[in-house]
Amino acid sequence: MLQYLVQGILLGGLYAIIGIGMSMVFGIMRLTNLAHGDLMILSAYLALTFCDLLGGNLLLATLFTIIAMVIIGFLIQAFLVNHVLSKGAEPALLVTFGISVFLANLLHNIFSADYQSLPNSLTNTQVISTDLVSISAIYLFSFVVAILMIVGLHFLMQRTNFGRSIRATSDDDMAAGLTGVNTKRAYVYAMMLSMAVTAVSGVLIGSTYTFNASMGSSYLIIAFGVVVIGGMGSLIGTLLGGIVLGVAQLLGSYFLGTGVQLLVAYLVLLVVLATRPNGLLARATRK
Amino acid sequence: MKFDGQTLAGNTGFKVGKKVLLVVVLLLLALLPMFPNSAYLVSTVTLIMIYMALGQMWNLLGGYAGLLSLGMQAFIGIGGYSLAVFSIDAGLNIFVAVFLGGVISVLFGLVVSPALFKMTGVYFAIGTWVVAEALMIFFSNWSVVDYAKGIMIRSVYFLTGEQIYYIAVLLGVISVLVVYLLMRSKTGLALMAIRDNPAAAESMGVKIFSTKLKCYMIACFFTGITGGVAYINLAYITPSASISTQWTIAMTFMVIIGGIGTMEGPIIGSIIYVALTQYLYNFPGISMTILGAIAVAAIMVVPNGIMGTIHNKTGFELLSPRRIMPPDWKKLLGVERAKEQVEAAGDKASKKE
Repeated sequence: MLQYLVQGILLGGLYAIIGIGMSMVFGIMRLTNLAHGDLMILSAYLALTFCDLLGGNLLLATLFTIIAMVIIGFLIQAFLVNHVLSKGAEPALLVTFGISVFLANLLHNIFSADYQSLPNSLTNTQVISTDLVSISAIYLFSFVVAILMIVGLHFLMQRTNFGRSIRATSDDDMAAGLTGVNTKRAYVYAMMLSMAVTAVSGVLIGSTYTFNASMGSSYLIIAFGVVVIGGMGSLIGTLLGGIVLGVAQLLGSYFLGTGVQLLVAYLVLLVVLATRPNGLLARATRK
Repeated sequence: MKFDGQTLAGNTGFKVGKKVLLVVVLLLLALLPMFPNSAYLVSTVTLIMIYMALGQMWNLLGGYAGLLSLGMQAFIGIGGYSLAVFSIDAGLNIFVAVFLGGVISVLFGLVVSPALFKMTGVYFAIGTWVVAEALMIFFSNWSVVDYAKGIMIRSVYFLTGEQIYYIAVLLGVISVLVVYLLMRSKTGLALMAIRDNPAAAESMGVKIFSTKLKCYMIACFFTGITGGVAYINLAYITPSASISTQWTIAMTFMVIIGGIGTMEGPIIGSIIYVALTQYLYNFPGISMTILGAIAVAAIMVVPNGIMGTIHNKTGFELLSPRRIMPPDWKKLLGVERAKEQVEAAGDKASKKE
């Protein structure tokens, strides 16, 4: 039981990173990126490919993956999403849906349906190993990375001009535009930043679990759940959302069996959606 | 909706030509299996009819009721499994089983609607999707539906392809009729009013919640029924294939390509979708990739879809959900008089200054 709780909390850290990328795009341009899960899986595959090419150097492969994903984020935002954002929420949503279908099937064709994982030394290392609890190093590592990234992003958003222009656009895009912020460019930056985070989350997921091309949609729902439970644009809430989902999932597997663990997480998400649609930590709603 | 002169002129009701066209299409559908060498065409049109029914229901929600759902596949699963379980385990007639699938879909929709209808827009879209995914996991772990193993639906083996064709055509025609009649009813007017201006509609006494719920129930029922018919045709069902986003992709694709919020959109969309998937069958694997790319391109180039674009340019509509406006509608509605009054009030105000 304790084992499941601890593992759930650490898993929550991993989920939080998946959610941050989505939260950013959602908070800033009110766009639900339905391709988010698939883009994450794409990063995992990219890391796998780079890793092979670079002779197994995962750290360097991660760097290349981040660069590649930032470029992809730029392309998606500048050439696709920016053009349909002005036509309302639905066309943009459906564009990302199309990207999701495209990516999931493309990856399936290139890499087949086999489960893959990123080779690393942390997966089989136990940090703590007692009768009560044993913690895998990769879980702890993901959790630490999640917290570091949340703190880092918090500073970036609060303390830099870059962050201010993005936040201004998020609060009121017209007013931001009037004061000299290039809102379309701010959207592109936000998407690129989101993709950088997504790249990291993809690498972490790939090192922690096995993955295949069709898993994007379940990670999308996790990402969405994290964002909804945590509240839009709240970085701390995102961590909380991740932990709630992670704990729900692992307690579900403890009490009901591994087959239904995701079902429990989904039910928790639905209950939160129906009762507190602005998130558990909801302040006064924006807009 | 624009009430410009062109729309009104192009929309003077059921012209004789359109009536003839509809009758010819229906006759062709009825006689198709009698043509020689039509077996392939019959099976293709069967698919088109099934997808058209799904598209019509998705369009009713997404195009008319403003309920963008990504979770209608839940009802396809319910319909398909109702057919399997009631006709095999309970030994019921397959049509009764399919009908029960529709009823259970409505009940399931009713159960989840209090939660779902608290959400709007994107939240609703994802909420419906989460419900469908949760249902899929539940079915995969449920003994009644034989877990994730899947069921061979032997009870439908006695049907010939031709019989399935007529079932599908009946379903397709009914789905078009239902949406058409609904849109021309008071509910349809209410829906358009809500879409154009929800606040004004509500203040005029339109009940937004119950109107949308009504549409959702209708869509649940017919999507459930269509799920049953789809699995009469497929005869083998698993949770992951029946409650699959593949169905959502199909529905979204058809309606968007065809034209969201138009009666003809899902019809054209389903023909394109089925023809395309049949053609892409020759390129196994990449077909869905191409579909995804086409969908993105279509939203970028013709965001209103094929019918939406044609309608905006020419005012052409085959099945108009709109009533015919009398030529002097402005006078009847008091628009001119209201305008005069506003102008008079404006003059008075400016004189005071």
